[in-house]
Amino acid sequence: MRNGDAKPKKFKSVKRQEQISTISGYVTLVIMSIIWLYPILWIILSAFRTEKNDQGQLIGIVVSNYFPRAIGFDNFVNLFNNTLFPRWFMNTLFVSVISFVISTTLTLSVAYVMSKLKFKARKSFLNIALILGMFPGFMSIIAIYYILKAMNLTQTLFALILAYSAGAGLGFYVAKGFFDLIPNSLIESARLDGATNFQIFKKIIIPLSKPIIIYTALLSFTGPWMDFIFARVILGETNPELHTVAVGLYSMLYGSQSTVDPNRFTMFAAGSVIVAIPIVALFLSMQKYYVEGVTAGAVKG
Amino acid sequence: MNKKILFLILVLASVFVLVGCKKDAPLTIWVGTESVEFYEGVIEDYLAAYETANGEAFPHEILVKGADTGSAAATFLEDTEAGPDIFTVAHDNLGKLIAGSSSIAPVTDADLLAQIENDNPDSFKEVIKGVVGGQTYTFGVPYIAQSLVLYYNKEFITTEQVQTWEGILAAAEAANKQALSLTGTDGFNNSFLLLATNAETGQSSLKLYYGGDINNNFASGDDTVSVMKWGQRFFTHENGPKRPTDSGWQIELKDEISLSVISGAWHYNAASAALGSKLGIVKLPTFTITEADAYGSVTAGTVFQSGTFADTKMFVMKKGSKYQEFLQDIVKYLSSKDVQEASYEEVQNLPAYKNAAVEFESMTGNTLEAQLASAQIEMFEHGIPQPFGFDNRFNFYYYSKGAPDLILEILENKSGTETGLFTSFDQIKAQLLIIENIWKTGNKE
Amino acid sequence: MNDRNALKQGVIQKIFSSILKSIKSIGYGIYRSLVRFVLGVKKRFVRFGKRFMDASAVTKVSHFVMGFGQLARKQFVKGFIYLFIQLGFFFILFTSPTVNGTPIGLDALRNFITLGTVEGDVFTPTDNSMLMMLFGVVTLGLIGMFIAGYLSNINSSYHNDLLIRDGKKVLSFKEDLAELLDSRFHMTMLTPAILGIVVFTILPTVFMILIAFTNFDAQHPAGQVLFDWVGFENFKNVFSGQGEVSVRFIPVLSWTLVWAFFATFSNYIAGILLALLINKKTIKLKKLWRTVFILTIAIPQFLSLLAVRSILSEYGPVNNLLMTVGLIDNPISFLGTATNPMTARASVLFINLWVGIPYTMLMTSGILMNIPTDLYEAAQIDGATKRQAFISITIPYIVFVTTPYLITSFVGNITSFNIIFLLTGGGPAVGGGYKAGSTDLLVTWLYKLTIDENEYNMGSVIGIFTFLITATGTLLSYRKSKAYKEEEAFQ
Repeated sequence: MRNGDAKPKKFKSVKRQEQISTISGYVTLVIMSIIWLYPILWIILSAFRTEKNDQGQLIGIVVSNYFPRAIGFDNFVNLFNNTLFPRWFMNTLFVSVISFVISTTLTLSVAYVMSKLKFKARKSFLNIALILGMFPGFMSIIAIYYILKAMNLTQTLFALILAYSAGAGLGFYVAKGFFDLIPNSLIESARLDGATNFQIFKKIIIPLSKPIIIYTALLSFTGPWMDFIFARVILGETNPELHTVAVGLYSMLYGSQSTVDPNRFTMFAAGSVIVAIPIVALFLSMQKYYVEGVTAGAVKG
Repeated sequence: MNKKILFLILVLASVFVLVGCKKDAPLTIWVGTESVEFYEGVIEDYLAAYETANGEAFPHEILVKGADTGSAAATFLEDTEAGPDIFTVAHDNLGKLIAGSSSIAPVTDADLLAQIENDNPDSFKEVIKGVVGGQTYTFGVPYIAQSLVLYYNKEFITTEQVQTWEGILAAAEAANKQALSLTGTDGFNNSFLLLATNAETGQSSLKLYYGGDINNNFASGDDTVSVMKWGQRFFTHENGPKRPTDSGWQIELKDEISLSVISGAWHYNAASAALGSKLGIVKLPTFTITEADAYGSVTAGTVFQSGTFADTKMFVMKKGSKYQEFLQDIVKYLSSKDVQEASYEEVQNLPAYKNAAVEFESMTGNTLEAQLASAQIEMFEHGIPQPFGFDNRFNFYYYSKGAPDLILEILENKSGTETGLFTSFDQIKAQLLIIENIWKTGNKE
Repeated sequence: MNDRNALKQGVIQKIFSSILKSIKSIGYGIYRSLVRFVLGVKKRFVRFGKRFMDASAVTKVSHFVMGFGQLARKQFVKGFIYLFIQLGFFFILFTSPTVNGTPIGLDALRNFITLGTVEGDVFTPTDNSMLMMLFGVVTLGLIGMFIAGYLSNINSSYHNDLLIRDGKKVLSFKEDLAELLDSRFHMTMLTPAILGIVVFTILPTVFMILIAFTNFDAQHPAGQVLFDWVGFENFKNVFSGQGEVSVRFIPVLSWTLVWAFFATFSNYIAGILLALLINKKTIKLKKLWRTVFILTIAIPQFLSLLAVRSILSEYGPVNNLLMTVGLIDNPISFLGTATNPMTARASVLFINLWVGIPYTMLMTSGILMNIPTDLYEAAQIDGATKRQAFISITIPYIVFVTTPYLITSFVGNITSFNIIFLLTGGGPAVGGGYKAGSTDLLVTWLYKLTIDENEYNMGSVIGIFTFLITATGTLLSYRKSKAYKEEEAFQ
């Protein structure tokens, strides 16, 4: 009898506990989401902000009110007419497409070879690649600039493409981890059937590797959109028609003295929104593959 | 299969070869980004004049590009071979450019040297020369002059008040705002007290690399100590100057957090955007030494005039340029009196020509641009050109070895700095001696 | 409690001893590989000589005229390729063509040692010491590549010898190409990658390492003043405790390590907690919450960080909000202009959380979804409560799987450039005019020294140091990680 009474009480308090923890969980999530989205919403709102001062000029600086008092498309119009933004966008698109093709090819080739093929210098190549990858990237900017200059390529977009993708062979670890998971038995049986290594690569490996191809491609495509150091040094500051969006947007706010103009913050926000849209769209649609890639990288180390 | 691969390799190879064949770079000129269009027009005129004078067209293509004049020297030095044939720099970059065996060519054309001699004030003529390999050469051709002026908010400060710092401070107190926004704490933007001169005599005991001699530095005169003490009271006043913030001085002016800013012509557009119709431009204010600040030979009641660096921007030519023979003629044309006047009319570049204020019609008048010009011209009498062109080290020691921070320490007088508070004159003088040492040797001792 | 302390002590002891062991084994490893290298070189020479003796007359000639062995056996295309390589290389080596005013070839090797002799004057050019060094390295690289080609030439000719002796036919060009797609497929796949790596990664890195041994700085601009080899002086300078760079070296180094530690662990723990929260059975709309956080990863870091910087500026929305709510009276400087360096440091660590938690959260979510359910079922059968199952299965599993990530993330945070550079620019500045500010990491300081100040030699020293730290960290972790051990098994 006493047990029968005790059970419902215990049951209720457990349920209560669960309710409290669920509610507090939701509250935490909501608060965190607000904090996380706060800056992003700010940029979007700033991009559409068109407050004007008493002389009719656009107030483009960072203001203290979060929600704009007037909205419109002025910043976007300004961006397209008064700066070289469309040119920068096309430049970056060009550079990122070609460098993603080259990078992905190089990374996947090396990863496949390291994973599946046996040859003499394999172990030492693995170690060397590991070590080389650890030098800070821009220590060598000056050297790369002069090497490109000796090839007569500086201040062209090809130089930038080479700088981004030529060393891609070193970044094969995640892809290799993925290839390691492909069972060797598949390859063995194909070889028994008389296929060359090239045919195995083409007909078996590539179709199976869709997730890792997409992961590698995603990373190497988005890279040039976000780099502002290499691009600035290699393209030179006096060639604004060659700049990428990252360099162009960065120089609007933080570049050298005469190009900096805090009044252009809203224009910067507009440019950011335009740049962010394709990248975010890519990321969200390839979410699944990205997570797989990150997890594979983490597990394999 | 193999054929496809071969074909691909051939295509790639040819792409690279094609890319590799760049045509010869044209004669390139870098000017300030805001003046590109104007100078393109000037070059067109030059080409036409050349054709009439010589009967044949100029044999090469000339390309005018915009480059930030503040960093043009650094950008040029990164890759001199690909650099422009003519470009503009502020004269204090001269030391960097002529270090060692020089990366710029000296002026050798007699006509051009004569034009430089005739057209420029003495102070400019000193700083465009440099010593390479034991010999002195003229390297730069001045064409723009600039100094710092005061941009202020007319709504809160009357034209009386703006003549003196005390007036501005009173206006700030009345409105409960800050009197001044500092655009930077470096040795250029925060130099108005260090370079202050006696308003009556126009003299100051301060010597900064006087005569191009690294040992000729003096910062611990009585007047400098008094000025620093006055500055301390100014900076520690509740409504005194404001340190630079992440938001920037423009926002501070616009949101009426502070009432004035010391800056140059390069920030005219920004100041005008921030203040709109409330913008006033005037020469830097004076201030009066009181009992509390008087030290040594300086008596209370002495009026000092805030100082500034009065600089010139000059054209320089690349050493070993392909187009060497044509460069000096072009520079002569670009820096001539008439082009300087047109440049003032169209892009508001203050001319370096010594009689510009008198001879150029467009500089008289009451527009805001004319006020900017006259304020700068007035400041030339109270300023010195940056004396850093003689040697690579001067610029480095003055700006990058911590001296400006030490000056700010005196002015802000905060506790917790390495050497403690600066309430007594002796402490101030000791700090000024350290600053002198840094200028001479780059180290505190 | 005592058990816990003892456990902690035991763990710390274990970490120390494993670090010591790793250092010892690295040392032994270096020694052993040096010995192996020298012995290997000796062996190679011996083998080379033997092969020469054993080779046919045609192959012997191949040692002097590349391609001869192939041409003599009607492998025309291959033979001409080798011959062409030899002629091209000798041309470059002996005529020393000038590129950008400086020669490549034998002259470059000489210049490499002297680093230029012509001082020039106001009308004549000076030797460009930097280009001379670069081209010296390039020439060494070309020599290396030529040797590779040379050996391959002899190899293939000798291989043909053996084929003929065995009575087999020599391969035609077409058959050779076919082999490239099969048994020598690894060569085809690796060659373009290796070429790119050598030219764009190895060459620049070697060049930058060499700069640390010269006095190439702002007082010796390339092409105006000659600079020279100075040996280890720069390193001595940095550790001497005098002079600008060395005074700031230890502070920057210690901040870098502190930053890496806090950044890694805070992201790690918070990310796991967040993932666990979202993963709870009772929380709905899991995909929605995850998408919110993925959004911050998707936006390019440099845009979002510049946005955060402007939000936190003194007259921006956050300060405005805080003042309206009444929490503060005057705007706070959070970042580069903060009055207290600790404010700036705390701010960057917090913002780093904003940037980094989504990554760890994603990764942990991925792992959580893959935990084998039979573990839980077995626990349930054994009568464990949900809480016990959580503590003894979920947490250890996550920790075990993500430990290698933890270490890579630590190493990565040491070189995390964007966050510091974009948010504070390294500031607030440290009094005394030293270039490194209070939030500067080794990498941002390296950037400032190299690109802003043109002090290339000091920048290189810092870079080498950063490399040593990250290399040690990575090697330590890699050896312990599963992947390496499985690597051995794979071999």
